[in-house]
Amino acid sequence: MSRLSPAQPVPAPVVEEPGRQRYLLGQLLRLTGRYWPQCLRLILIQACLIALSLASLGGVGLAIDLLRAQIDPSAPAVRVPFGAWTPPDSKPETVLLLLGGVIFVAALLRAVLTYANTVAANRLGQGRIVVDLRSRVYAQMQRLSFRFFDANATGSLINRVTGDTQAVRLFIDGVAMQSLQVLLAAAVYCACLIRVHAGLTFACLVFLPVLWILVTLFARWLRRDYVEGRRRVDRLVLVFEELARGIGVVKNFGLEGWAEKRFLEANAAVRDQKTRVFRKLTILHPTVSLLNQLSMAILLGYGGWLAIRGEIAIGTGLVVFAGILQQLAAQVTAVGNIADHLQQTLTGADRVYQILDAKPDVDDRPEAKALTTARGHIVFENVSFRFRPENTVLHSINLAVSAGERIAIVGPTGAGKSALLQLIPRFYDPDAGRVLLDGAGLRDWKLEDVRRQVGLVFQESFLFSASIAANIAFGDPAAGRDAIERAAKLASAHEFIETLPQGYDTLLQENGSNLSGGQRQRLALARAVLLDPAILILDDPTAAVDAETEQEILDSMDGAMQDRTTFLVTHRLSAVRRARRIVVLNGGRIEAMGTHAELAAAAGYYRDAMLAEQQGSLAA
Amino acid sequence: MREPGSKHSRPSVAGIVDRDTLRGIRHTRGDEDEREQAPLSFRLILRLFGFTRPYRRKMAGLVLTVVARAMQLPLLAWGAGAIITGPIARGDLDALRWWVGGFLLFALFTEFTFRYRVKWALEIGEAVIHDLRAALFRRWLTLNMDYFNTRPVGRLISRLTGDAENVRVGVQNVLFVSLVQGGQMLGCAVLMAIEDFRLFLVVLGIAPVVWLLNRIFRRRLGQAYRNQSESFSRITATMAESVSGIRVTQSFSREQVNAGLFRALVEDHARYNYVAARTSGIFLPLLELNGQWFTALLVVLGGNRVLASGDPMALGSMIQFFFLAGLFFSPIVVLGTMFNEALTAMAGAERVFSVLDTEPSWKDPEKPVDPGRCQGRVEFREVGFAYQPGRPVLRGLSFVTEPGQCVAVAGATGSGKTTMANLIARFYLPTEGEVLIDGVDTRLLSSAWLQRHLGIVPQHNHLFSGSILENILVVRPTASRDDVRHALHRLDCLDAIEAIPGGLDAEAGERGSRLSLGQRQLVCFARALVADPEILILDEATSAIDPITEMRTQKAMRLLLRGRTSFVIAHRLSTLRHASRILVMDAGRLVESGAPIDLLEQGGAFAALWARAGLEQPAR
Repeated sequence: MSRLSPAQPVPAPVVEEPGRQRYLLGQLLRLTGRYWPQCLRLILIQACLIALSLASLGGVGLAIDLLRAQIDPSAPAVRVPFGAWTPPDSKPETVLLLLGGVIFVAALLRAVLTYANTVAANRLGQGRIVVDLRSRVYAQMQRLSFRFFDANATGSLINRVTGDTQAVRLFIDGVAMQSLQVLLAAAVYCACLIRVHAGLTFACLVFLPVLWILVTLFARWLRRDYVEGRRRVDRLVLVFEELARGIGVVKNFGLEGWAEKRFLEANAAVRDQKTRVFRKLTILHPTVSLLNQLSMAILLGYGGWLAIRGEIAIGTGLVVFAGILQQLAAQVTAVGNIADHLQQTLTGADRVYQILDAKPDVDDRPEAKALTTARGHIVFENVSFRFRPENTVLHSINLAVSAGERIAIVGPTGAGKSALLQLIPRFYDPDAGRVLLDGAGLRDWKLEDVRRQVGLVFQESFLFSASIAANIAFGDPAAGRDAIERAAKLASAHEFIETLPQGYDTLLQENGSNLSGGQRQRLALARAVLLDPAILILDDPTAAVDAETEQEILDSMDGAMQDRTTFLVTHRLSAVRRARRIVVLNGGRIEAMGTHAELAAAAGYYRDAMLAEQQGSLAA
Repeated sequence: MREPGSKHSRPSVAGIVDRDTLRGIRHTRGDEDEREQAPLSFRLILRLFGFTRPYRRKMAGLVLTVVARAMQLPLLAWGAGAIITGPIARGDLDALRWWVGGFLLFALFTEFTFRYRVKWALEIGEAVIHDLRAALFRRWLTLNMDYFNTRPVGRLISRLTGDAENVRVGVQNVLFVSLVQGGQMLGCAVLMAIEDFRLFLVVLGIAPVVWLLNRIFRRRLGQAYRNQSESFSRITATMAESVSGIRVTQSFSREQVNAGLFRALVEDHARYNYVAARTSGIFLPLLELNGQWFTALLVVLGGNRVLASGDPMALGSMIQFFFLAGLFFSPIVVLGTMFNEALTAMAGAERVFSVLDTEPSWKDPEKPVDPGRCQGRVEFREVGFAYQPGRPVLRGLSFVTEPGQCVAVAGATGSGKTTMANLIARFYLPTEGEVLIDGVDTRLLSSAWLQRHLGIVPQHNHLFSGSILENILVVRPTASRDDVRHALHRLDCLDAIEAIPGGLDAEAGERGSRLSLGQRQLVCFARALVADPEILILDEATSAIDPITEMRTQKAMRLLLRGRTSFVIAHRLSTLRHASRILVMDAGRLVESGAPIDLLEQGGAFAALWARAGLEQPAR
């Protein structure tokens, strides 16, 4: 069944630092406190369950003693627990029937309570805690700045919402509640045992601490092997994926032997690590089982001696003792799990709280003003920016762009072109200087309003798995079909959408893979102009397409750029000519600025690049 | 609360993967055959057993321990009961000492057996799966490109991980655990029947009830878990899109809308989760209830039998029943789980074996023609090709290229350029006509000969993790570091590679991710040059890099092609200009063919493309 449970906890690196551990524990306890009424109810149910299982165990013991007294007059008199009920002089058959009835009812109640417990635990854990946590982490993640996404792999981010939130939930039911339950059960069971016979209790329980230490130590000993095993499986998948994606290269150069060796090595590494784990694992389980048998042997030997001497009864003494010992052994295993769960929980909580505690770098100032319609006048004032402290991407950029102007930005890879544009919708804030929109600093406007004024098309535009209409209406899910079609026409996307069998309702596959590159970019353009933004940013929209498709996209841009301040980054100089002014960015600085004719006349990057594109072939 | 089904009517919203979209994605990926369970098949089981043949001795030991263990567990329980009802009830201290000693020894022996039972089962399972993965990989290496082009890598990975994993569980658990548990039931049954046959019949009467309950609830649980895992995949799919599309989301200020939609999705999942929990919440207590009810019956019926005047049952037998009945009932649940796992393992085994049974769509001829030295003359004779019957991609394609010619292939996306290249490399065989190299039909050549004389540089340049040097040497392990340097020097890009920190020893990263696009391309060129094939097929990259870097790669490309018969699938006009011959394809047919200048003068399709890009006429 575990196969189907969504979160398969994978042993992950342990949170070592004590300060962080303490902080996380505090957060987790506070979280548990928030759900205390539900937790209390669960504990109460558990208490009832323990009482019931004792009742039915006692019933069996009592029945045995009663029968023994009936058939063997020399046997000791029946001792009734709690003195609540003394056997009347009724027929033993009636008493047996009564006892059977008690066990039957206890069983029924147990079943009902177990059901109630499962349902309540699920309501609390999956229904409330996980839903709340997942929603909170997701909502917070959506607001985090790009730096965060740059630094984390997609898989790890997904896991924070899926797996790690489950790990945090595990603290409430797998650590906090479980501990309480184990304590409660141990206390009640021990009390019952001691009532029967203190010395025997001690003798039988002497192995429990050993068992507990053993289980905990083993968990720690195996942990590293599990992590290593996981790592080797990941590596096997990685090696395979690389070879499978490169199968063309393998086949073409006849590298089958090499590929086989590479794969088999990774494959054998997995097997060897697993075998190592098995060797350890198969010491633990028989040992635990043997210790339980040892307790049983002590009970039989010492308890048997006591029974022979008449100090304890066979039914309410020995048989009940054996039953309770079994229950206690189960609790010990639970203790081992608690220690393991705590580690898992801390690792998960570490990653969940990293997100919940993160403050978005880019956020609204309290006094930010609303902006309904912008004109699109943009000024960069001494703007400097870096992604990482050691690596400045933009150096004191000064640039003024009037409303409705078309600006092209060119320059070699890594010149800072994309960085410059990402400052306009405030995906990042500059480290020095400021960017102004319509005369006021970007940070003086409400963030959401600024972003609504900017339409964006990226190198490779991400489309969502949804209908074409829903993708175009991404910025305004309430937009009607008219508005969607208008935007599509503006981006010359309407024609090809109409030719699709389901038109605007065509479902896009993952990242729009059922469309061509040019079609995807035109949809992105339609999506960008739907809200009629004052500013349009086109970040190398033709980078990933061939020459012919490039033309297609460039043609469609003309309509979209009408009456908007447009920033166009491109490597293709043929596209640059659509702009009035060209900015050459090199090494994070503006190297030159002017019209095509001006720049082509002067020495510099622009002319070199132009020559390379037009006549680069002459160099050969 | 909203009904789970009511989402159907809602129009799709971009950013959230709903049920229909998820099905749409699965459908186009061809995931329909991925059923989770398959009926037990004797043929499959036998075949799986074949994989244990290399571990025959361990298997024999395992079977022995399995049989031993099946007998040991009931005997242990019976022993405990026998001690209580025998020496203890009789008050025989001497016998008690011997019995307990014997019990301890037997327990020790039991756990010893246990260790090897588990260890050998785990080891055999892991070894079988290791061999199965190796067999899968070896089989894949023999298959042709048509196999890989129609299957996403993710699907191959799930054969290797998920399916193989399920088979392993089947081998490790299902068979041996079932045997142990079944044996345990049988052993208990025999012991109980010996103790008291009539009471044993009561136990036997309850067993079918347990089995029936098990069947009914398994089915309901299966459905509940399927719903649960489907709603969970909606969550992960949405998460994946949210992370990949975060830039789009933030630029349209969709954070809050998305967070709300996501919460609905998470709540939906919690509901399915709840249904599953509720079902198992009824099922497990019900099962337990049966054992409890038997205890109640035991007290009443057994008690009465003990008190009966005619042929009373021994009190000891009743105590024995108390111990043995528990051991008799518990395997039923385990067997149910095992049955379920077996069905899952069957589905996995079915898919794994279907890969192992896949025959390559064609193989090398028995007696290949060896043309000796390769001249590099390529000829297409009336070649037609279709990936799917009835949908031809190439029609009546005929042309001859002379040794040393550089042929550029131009045409729109989908015109058949890549297919043509695939036919030259014999990744596919033509459906009509023939492809000849040096006058020999490629069908008659050996793979080894083709691999030696024909090279391909694909559009998506693929590197393996490892150093740059390793990536180049992989095609000719006998080459030295100096040969590689020499090759890079000949391509005039030694300086560009040595400028990378680490130079030739720099890590390429997973699929070459640590190198820039331009650098990857140069390494691929160097790899092709070291392989030194007479015929080279090159699919130009479409992704634009800045013009100056591009000039560099273009130059290296021309140096690489020099002196070979080469086919370039051209996306750059400058490449077209340098070709000795241009083939213009349209809808699978050759529409123009000739030297670039001649084609321009003809004023056909090629001339139109040229004009649209706004380029000047090349100098004569």
